[in-house]
Formats: sequence, C-alpha cells, structure tokens
Amino acid sequence: MTRYAMVIDLNTCVGCNACMAACAVENQTPVWDNKWRTYVHDKEIGTAEDIHRRFFPRLCNHCANPACMSVCPTGATYQRADGIVLVDEDLCMGCRACAVACPYDARMEVTYSDVRQGKEFYGEDYRRRRPSMDKCSFCAHRVDQGLKPACVETCVGSARIFGDLNDPNDEVAKLVASGTARPLMAHLGTQPNVYYIDDLKRKG
Amino acid sequence: MDATMNFYTQDYWTWWIAVYLFFGGLGAATLVTTFLSDMYLHPKKELVLWGAWSGIIMLGVGSVMLFGHLLDHMAVIHVLNPLVLFYQPHAWIAWGTQFILWMMVWGFLYALPYMRESPFFMNLPLVKTFLQWDFVIKVANKCGQYCRLCGWLATVNGIGTVVYTGLLLQSFPAVALWHNPGVPILFTVSAFSTAMAYLLLVLNFFGHKQEDRPLRVFYERTDVILIATELVILASFFFYLQRGSEAAAISSQMLWHDWGWLIGFIGFGLIVPFFIELKGVLKGWQGPIPIMLASVMVLVGGYLLRHYFMYAGVYAQPW
Repeated sequence: MTRYAMVIDLNTCVGCNACMAACAVENQTPVWDNKWRTYVHDKEIGTAEDIHRRFFPRLCNHCANPACMSVCPTGATYQRADGIVLVDEDLCMGCRACAVACPYDARMEVTYSDVRQGKEFYGEDYRRRRPSMDKCSFCAHRVDQGLKPACVETCVGSARIFGDLNDPNDEVAKLVASGTARPLMAHLGTQPNVYYIDDLKRKG
Repeated sequence: MDATMNFYTQDYWTWWIAVYLFFGGLGAATLVTTFLSDMYLHPKKELVLWGAWSGIIMLGVGSVMLFGHLLDHMAVIHVLNPLVLFYQPHAWIAWGTQFILWMMVWGFLYALPYMRESPFFMNLPLVKTFLQWDFVIKVANKCGQYCRLCGWLATVNGIGTVVYTGLLLQSFPAVALWHNPGVPILFTVSAFSTAMAYLLLVLNFFGHKQEDRPLRVFYERTDVILIATELVILASFFFYLQRGSEAAAISSQMLWHDWGWLIGFIGFGLIVPFFIELKGVLKGWQGPIPIMLASVMVLVGGYLLRHYFMYAGVYAQPW
C-alpha cells in the first residue's frame, strides 16, 4: 500500500516562495488575506558574524495519527488509504478544533467573505462553494493523475521531494530510513509524514 | 529540531469559547444539582424550575456563542444528528453537542409537570396556551409518572456536559497546558462550585426562607469543599507546569505572572469566598449579603479560570 510522504531539505531551500505561489494558484487559496496552504518562514539563527539565514517551508504533515481528524466533530477531516489527509468542505462547520489540535499550524480559515472574493479573484474557474477550514491536500487531485504536488513540481532548489514511504527504492523512503530526514515533534504521537533534512549540522 | 524553537499563544479559540465552556459547565452543573436535590434531598418545585431553565438558557447562550463563530452555520446539522457518535466517537465536540441537546430535552421534560403547577408559567402568554394543549398535558402526566427516569437521564447528560468542557481542552496534544488529565477534573470541580454559588445566590436573593435553610447549609458546605479541592488542583497544576515541557512552563509564567489570574481568579475568585463561606459554615452570618457576595466572586472566578486557560494555551513551533 502506498504511503505518500514529503522530504524537505532545508539546505537547498532558497526562500524564493515559488512553492507558495504555485500552491496558491493550484488550490485557489485566499492569498488576499495572507492565507497559505504552505508557507516559507524566514529566520536568522546565530549571533554576530556567525549567523545563518534559514528558510523553513511548512505545510500539513499528513500525519498517520492526525490530531485534527480525531477532534473533528462532523467527520469533515478524513484520511485516504494512501495517507493523504483531506477536508470535505460540505461537512466542515468551521469550529476550528482541527486548527487548535494541529501542532504544525497547518490549518487556515476560509470564510464566507473569502468565498465571495475568491469568485472575483480566480474567476469562473473558482471551485470552492462553501466556507470551511482548509489545509494542504498534497495536491491529491494531481497525485491521482500521476503528477507531483504543485509545490514539489515548482521548487527551484529541489528542496521538496515527494514519494512513497512504503517503496524501499523511493528516494523519500531511503532518506527517511537512513535517518537523514526526520519528522517534526514526533514525540506528540501524530506520526507526521513530512520529514526535514537539517541545515544546522557542523560542516568541515 | 535544534535550538530554533518558537513559542506561540493560540488565537483560534478565545473569549467566546471561554464563555461557551463557562456557561456549559455552570448551566449543566446547576441543572444536575437542582434535580438531585429535588429527587433525594429536599423536594422543591421552584428550585427545579430555576435549575432547569437556568441550565437550558445558559447552555443556549453558550451554544449560540459557539454557533455564531462557526465558519459554515448550515453545516452544524451534521453534529446535531445523534448518529454522529457512531462515526466520530473520538470527537469530544460531537459528544458534548449530544450531551447538551439531550440534557435540555430531559431537563425540560423533568420540569414540565412542575411548570403546569407553577402560577408564573401558567400565567405567561403563549406558554400558558402551550401548557394547556392535550398532548402537552399527556406528556406532563407521563413525565410525572416517570420523573426519576427523566431526572436521571437529564442528570447523566448534565454530568456528561460538565466533564466534556474539560475533556475538550484535554484532547489537544499540542497544547501542554491543556493536554493533561487534570483539566477535566479542574473544570468539573469548578463547574459544580459555580453551580453551588449560583444556587446560593438564587436561594438568598429570592426570599431568605427558613424552610430552605438545610439546602443553603448543604450548598455552602459543599461549595467550601469544592473551592478547597480546586485550590489543591491548582497547586498541583502550578508544580506540574514548572518542570517538563517548555511550552507548559511558558503557560505557567503567563498565568502566575498575571494579576488577573493571581488576584482576580485565585484571590477574589477562590480564597476570599472560601473564607467567607467557611465562616458561614462554622459560625454563620447575620444576613445573606456576605454569602451572596461570595457567590458572585465564585461565579466571576469561574469565568476567569476558563478565560485565562484559553489565552495561556501555548504551542512549541520548531520554525
């Protein structure tokens, strides 16, 4: 059984934010309100001359044990057999319990106003009909067609790698199995499926 | 990952959830207390009507607070369907919604025969007409016949509602302040303490009757024990939050360095009313004013607990 996962190499992310733009256009997110399914944080770490600028892409971790799914009162958040966690906008009442439950700050609100503005901003191709909580879907609609998620496809530094964790020959599976790529806050028991390659190891 | 942690205070659920949790706990605990008092302690029609309608109205206000902040108001229908418990049994909001709903239904049915005996309700326009319908009379008679069953069904759902207010917060693993088994216990004790305070206020405000004295003494004694228990739980929270998770320690600093929490909640919401009620229990007061004052303090303190708990929920974010 396929288990989709993503590896993000913090050494090669250049902070161009192309992933954010690609995702926004692909998934028609309310960018006018600074709401993104994936976001690249820009942070300076260190002191004086020994300073390091880190770009840290963040998105839904498509956890195997998603806290957002267990607290969802209507069943709007659900998980596919391949591990992708999705939101059914028709079932979601927008109580925000998923947002409170998520340790990765991966949820955002899409309001009535956003839906109205979306129709003007994205035109007649705008797909959303109702307000709901929203999140990254690993571009499930593209993955189902054999394509990569928009953010992976567009990444200029190849910082994002998408693949099948259950295929031992897949690059993602190898990076995870070797311990090179590690999950965020695994101690919370969410079993996340986005892994990071650290950029702060001592070099030389 | 490495030394790049940030700490962030949640802002998804703020004062409106605090109001929801406060009225949920207070309303349900009030209904439970009055129904159990009526069934086993001191049968009193007026108290049941106060308890049932206070519970229903408070739960209504709390639920409206949550409903008003939903993103899609129509989709609430999915959580009102009782079958939600079969496909989302792990979601506390689903349980809470059902507890609230059925507590209101059984609470109303338990109070219905009393309403038909109450001159106040029988003189209210529209309500009077409703209470005189044949169908309503038949239902009221049946409820009178099976009053213990109705009372217990309301009580079980009421206790479920009270405990739910704490279990809800406890179910979020990323917030260290909330994700521990002390929260449901703290919120349950606090809810029953505020319910005692509310009923003492009602009993003292609407006629300081001699016949109600055993009930008032019982509520005062119970409230003193509950406030003392709450102080013990808060002390254990204080020590628990000091060591361990860094996010928990930050929550602790936010709470125990805030005058509103220290003086407002712990001081005037717990310690001062504790001593006022303790004196009432040990030596008694000349009039009802001190106990009424203590009751108001406990009620304000009950809200402050939930308010500060919402605003002190801290996430650790490794970016």
